[in-house]
Amino acid sequence: MAETGSRPAPGDRTVIGLVFGNSNSSIAYTLDEKAEVIANEDGDRQIPTVLSYVDGDEYYGQQAKAFLVRNPKNTIAYFKEFVGQDFKSIDPTHNHASAHPHDVDGVVSFTVNDKEEAVEPSTLSVSEVTTRYLRRLITAASEYLGKTVTSAVITVPTDFTDKQKAALIKAANDADLEVLQLIAEPVAAILAYDARPEATVEDKIVVVADLGDTRSDVAVVASRGGMYTILATSHDYEFAGCHLDQVLIDHFAKEFIKKHNTTDPRENARSLAKLKLEAESTKKALSLGTNASFSIESLIEGIDFTSTINRLRYEMSARKVFEGINRLIEAVVKKADLDVLDIDEVILSGGTSHTPRIANNLAALFPESTTIVAPATCATAINPSELLARGAALQASLIQEYDAEDIDQSTHPAVSTVKHIANALGVVTLAADDASSESFTPIVPAETAVPARRVARIAGPKNGGDVLIRVVEGGAHIKVTKPEPKQKAETNGAKDEDDSDDSDDDSSDEDDEEEEKREKVWRIGNTVAEAAVRDVKKGSQVEVTLTVNADLSVIVTAREIGGKGGVRGVVKAP
Amino acid sequence: PVLPEGWAGEKDFNPIGSLSAATQRTIEPVGPHFLAHARRARHKRTFSEDDRI
Repeated sequence: MAETGSRPAPGDRTVIGLVFGNSNSSIAYTLDEKAEVIANEDGDRQIPTVLSYVDGDEYYGQQAKAFLVRNPKNTIAYFKEFVGQDFKSIDPTHNHASAHPHDVDGVVSFTVNDKEEAVEPSTLSVSEVTTRYLRRLITAASEYLGKTVTSAVITVPTDFTDKQKAALIKAANDADLEVLQLIAEPVAAILAYDARPEATVEDKIVVVADLGDTRSDVAVVASRGGMYTILATSHDYEFAGCHLDQVLIDHFAKEFIKKHNTTDPRENARSLAKLKLEAESTKKALSLGTNASFSIESLIEGIDFTSTINRLRYEMSARKVFEGINRLIEAVVKKADLDVLDIDEVILSGGTSHTPRIANNLAALFPESTTIVAPATCATAINPSELLARGAALQASLIQEYDAEDIDQSTHPAVSTVKHIANALGVVTLAADDASSESFTPIVPAETAVPARRVARIAGPKNGGDVLIRVVEGGAHIKVTKPEPKQKAETNGAKDEDDSDDSDDDSSDEDDEEEEKREKVWRIGNTVAEAAVRDVKKGSQVEVTLTVNADLSVIVTAREIGGKGGVRGVVKAP
Repeated sequence: PVLPEGWAGEKDFNPIGSLSAATQRTIEPVGPHFLAHARRARHKRTFSEDDRI
């Protein structure tokens, strides 16, 4: 994947996982198969993606971010999105408060005074800025680990183009960093969870909501036997952390004007920069506690400002943003042709995911069977800010022994692009109490990449005897049971949206009782094969193994547990 | 289900249909299970051959 350049031999590598974000970046390494996020020399694990120059000295991270107030012109922030982009396609909204990007023959560039006084300011391409910033991150990691970091796995958003990827790899190479692989952010988040020793590999549909500062990315991922296939993604720039900051900025600016009857602090660049920094730290405090203070020294016209806010008030003001995030997640589930009932797990990642309200809203949006993995709703949740870095570090440790060519070949689309079965494959079973009702038990779920092999145990007949194993395809659909009493005059045209909208509100709606019941049911599709397992003992189980080959032929084996023999048969490819 | 009377198949197995639908999708090249898949794919091994190694 990486371009030729300095490529250390597998044995000489020191690897890290690197998250290069628009607002924050982080670095992680693995120790005994466990990923740890590295703090830099300032003690930060979330390192602001900011670079600043004061009197010829270079600052990065938190220190550079502080200079957004006093030295905005020589401070570069929010530049990650510009890597590999043409000037005309970028959105410089977030750069108003710092060095502005400008056009140098189509290349996004910044002009900053990065030398001692009385020298012409330098014009740096965004690629050069990235290289300089990455170099600082690598230095921080190298100092922590005590050896020079040579290689890294870097996470990228799923909508990163090949051009952006190539530009990022080049910028990293220029910082003397070998890029082992670029991995998608939602997959890094899932890997961070799946690689924990207590985790078990399951077939599940996972929604990863990566809620960042300037953007929110949502992906629906089919996790099948520890392999991940992205089914749908969505990207949004309207509902993210900076919009929550804006809610607080507006709230406190209004309070300030009312109290002191002065100029609007939002209209002065320096005052606004102070507001922004403080709003962000107040927001973080509100994720942990139910009350937070907000104070700025000499906000405007030399007036100090101190105030407090409680979480409830904040959640009310920020409701629009929270609802936007809910809609975003609902929309991407729909885009994947799925229903909220199909989702087994929602992983919240990114800094904004610390907000308790967002996790609680999602718990209301999804059925109870869905796990919402966030600090507010799940005791075993990993810090959402660290997920991506951990995932990247784990992947880096997995592939560090590989030759560069091996990595390129293994990740080649020829290997990764395969058929995924569209319907679930399973067997027909009978209910324990009612021998006449047939139901479907999935063994290989839909969207599983082939080749795949699954083993399931199904209960034999109560009284023993011969068993017929019917391998069938199954389709899931949503059964809506309308409530019987008092139908309203107006018909619910959009039944799908209707009840999910209701659950957005935390106040209970008056027609809660009338809410229709929606459940997931299986429809038995066409039969693929039948097999007989004879003379099964009373109360024993039958083990069925289904292997779907790459050409979609199916191998069925069935045997009684503890018994001898069993049947094996092959169904030809379609 | 219980085997109906008179059911017969060659070696007790009757292939009836085949899988109806599949879509071409891309697996994310990440994680230990993908690497195992890539190894099998590149050496053209089956699951059981891979188990033995």
